[in-house]
Amino acid sequence: MQPSRTRIAFYYSLLWLVALLFFLPVFWILMASFKTPDDILAVPPQFLFQPTLDNIVSMLTRPNTIPYFINSLFLSILSVTLALVVSFLAAYTLSRYKFRATNFLMFLILSTRMVPAAAFVVPIFQMYNAFQWRNQFGVLMLYTMFSIPFSLWILKGFIDGVSPRYDETGFVNGASRLHVMFRVVLPQVRPGLIAAFIFNLIFVWNEFLLNFILGGPGTQMIPYALAVGLTDSGGNVDWAFVASLSTGYVLLPTLMIFFFQKYLLVGMTFGTVRGEV
Amino acid sequence: MAPNRNDTGMTAIELNNLAKRYGRKQVLHNLHLSVPAGEFMVVFGLPASGKSVLVRLLTGLESPDQGNIFLRNTDVTHLSPGERNIGYVPQSFALYPHFTVHQNIAYPLHLARVPKNEVEPEVQRVAGLLGIQSLLDRKPDQLSGGQKQRVAIARGLIKRTDLYVLDDPLVGLDFKLRERLIDDLKRTQEMLNVTFVYTTSDAVESLMLASQIAVLDGGEIIENGPPETLYTAPQRTQTLQSVAFPQANLIDGTLSTQGSHQFIETPAFRAGFSGQPNGPTPQVQIGVRPEQIRIGTTPGALTCQARVLLREDLGGEEILYLDAQGVQLTTVLRSDDQTQQHVDIDQSVTISMQPQQLIVFQQGRRIGVCTGSE
Repeated sequence: MQPSRTRIAFYYSLLWLVALLFFLPVFWILMASFKTPDDILAVPPQFLFQPTLDNIVSMLTRPNTIPYFINSLFLSILSVTLALVVSFLAAYTLSRYKFRATNFLMFLILSTRMVPAAAFVVPIFQMYNAFQWRNQFGVLMLYTMFSIPFSLWILKGFIDGVSPRYDETGFVNGASRLHVMFRVVLPQVRPGLIAAFIFNLIFVWNEFLLNFILGGPGTQMIPYALAVGLTDSGGNVDWAFVASLSTGYVLLPTLMIFFFQKYLLVGMTFGTVRGEV
Repeated sequence: MAPNRNDTGMTAIELNNLAKRYGRKQVLHNLHLSVPAGEFMVVFGLPASGKSVLVRLLTGLESPDQGNIFLRNTDVTHLSPGERNIGYVPQSFALYPHFTVHQNIAYPLHLARVPKNEVEPEVQRVAGLLGIQSLLDRKPDQLSGGQKQRVAIARGLIKRTDLYVLDDPLVGLDFKLRERLIDDLKRTQEMLNVTFVYTTSDAVESLMLASQIAVLDGGEIIENGPPETLYTAPQRTQTLQSVAFPQANLIDGTLSTQGSHQFIETPAFRAGFSGQPNGPTPQVQIGVRPEQIRIGTTPGALTCQARVLLREDLGGEEILYLDAQGVQLTTVLRSDDQTQQHVDIDQSVTISMQPQQLIVFQQGRRIGVCTGSE
């Protein structure tokens, strides 16, 4: 039975209502980044105001802001890319060479992501201090490691979906293993690569705790900047700065989620629900 | 069975005592097969008889646990698939979805680093052979099942070699398309004058395509030879029963001796026997093809009474299921055969069979044929 038009309209208005409710704080921050400090805190909230770029200009002219953005971009993109390379090789191996404990090994690898960062941040900090890894390379490797489990799970799901008959046809025609991996299998799992990339990029982009504890001048990212720049010298929340930095901060994930929505679902289901990709 | 090497020509394939086991399951054992160059060798076997494993061993995708594989008189048992120079049509089409049809077909040449200007005429040639020139720019997901299969066959045939392995390439295609492709394949193989190894579980396909049939049963080749020989004089009951459509009749009987005469007795008839029993057991089976059973009497034939149980009218022919004194028999009548009388269900009829067409098996092996009625 088809629900009646009024019912559908009712459901959709309900959905819109909930969505707008959740969007409200984000909307408030976005608006605030274009308001003067007085307008930001005005009661009742101002919906019609004279927009200004002052907040954004002053945020960008603060000494460390641009480096924070660069660190965020550099660490997240490079670490996830490295993780994808490692994960693809591992996923192909785990998918094609089946040995006894494959599933258990997959579980073990994923289990590194089951512990909250707060639980292992102290030992990691001590280890990084002892090995003097608290530099760009060390943090990059941490995030790479951090991104491997989900990437591996997503890619293994995808490679399992590529029939080994494709590989075998290549072998019989004289292809090498590397040719089969990169020219036969890789192009067929491109949606998985995109899903894993976006999914992990958002994770690394949002990571705060480890960055806060381990980070230094070359590795501190935007969440760190938000945390330390939250209050002004007088102890009050610097809403103009927080709002404008947040606006710049959510730009990348928002664009990515908007353009690659369908891949995100794939990521969240480890490639088991592939939908239209 | 000893390998019967063709001494006049080159031997394309020789499989010597192959064995393969997966876990506890012995899939192939004691497998011998020799394929002379230029043959269309059909490896016939029921599903799960080990055909695909045999193909995997032949192409080198897996190694045998035991035995040797010779291709073109060279031992290739330990060579990688790429070094064996085999044209391959896999069972599932395995067309690369990210390639166009053209790229898929050209793929084996591309891997063999054939210069680009030589690839194009080859692609056109095999595409023409299979009638798929108009599809070259498409992607595999824009093709129907039959078109995909043609592309897969084209990709297998484009490789410049003398040995092609086709793993049940027509499985799952509709009847008309299969008939067309069977013709195409047969013509292609004869034109190229190369060796084909073709696996199938379809008896009609085997009989139509093969110049040699090898029957794979229980993990070994139980019999091989030209289709006519396998059809008219099978050495094993499995061959008689499986390489046929509809299935051949097997009648249980007993073998007895009176003086210097040997007799076969069945509930339906009694016949003489000429041949050499291979053991003391009196239990035998008499095999007879459905089309060799006729309604009515014919001179010199064995006759018995039978009741018609069921008729299946296939248009051009009719399949009759008969009961002859408790023995279930199947027979085929051609509708345009004026000498055959029309029959109805439950009608009692006289059926006749030529004794020399009744093959006698003992413990699954042929021991002789029947002689005139007693």
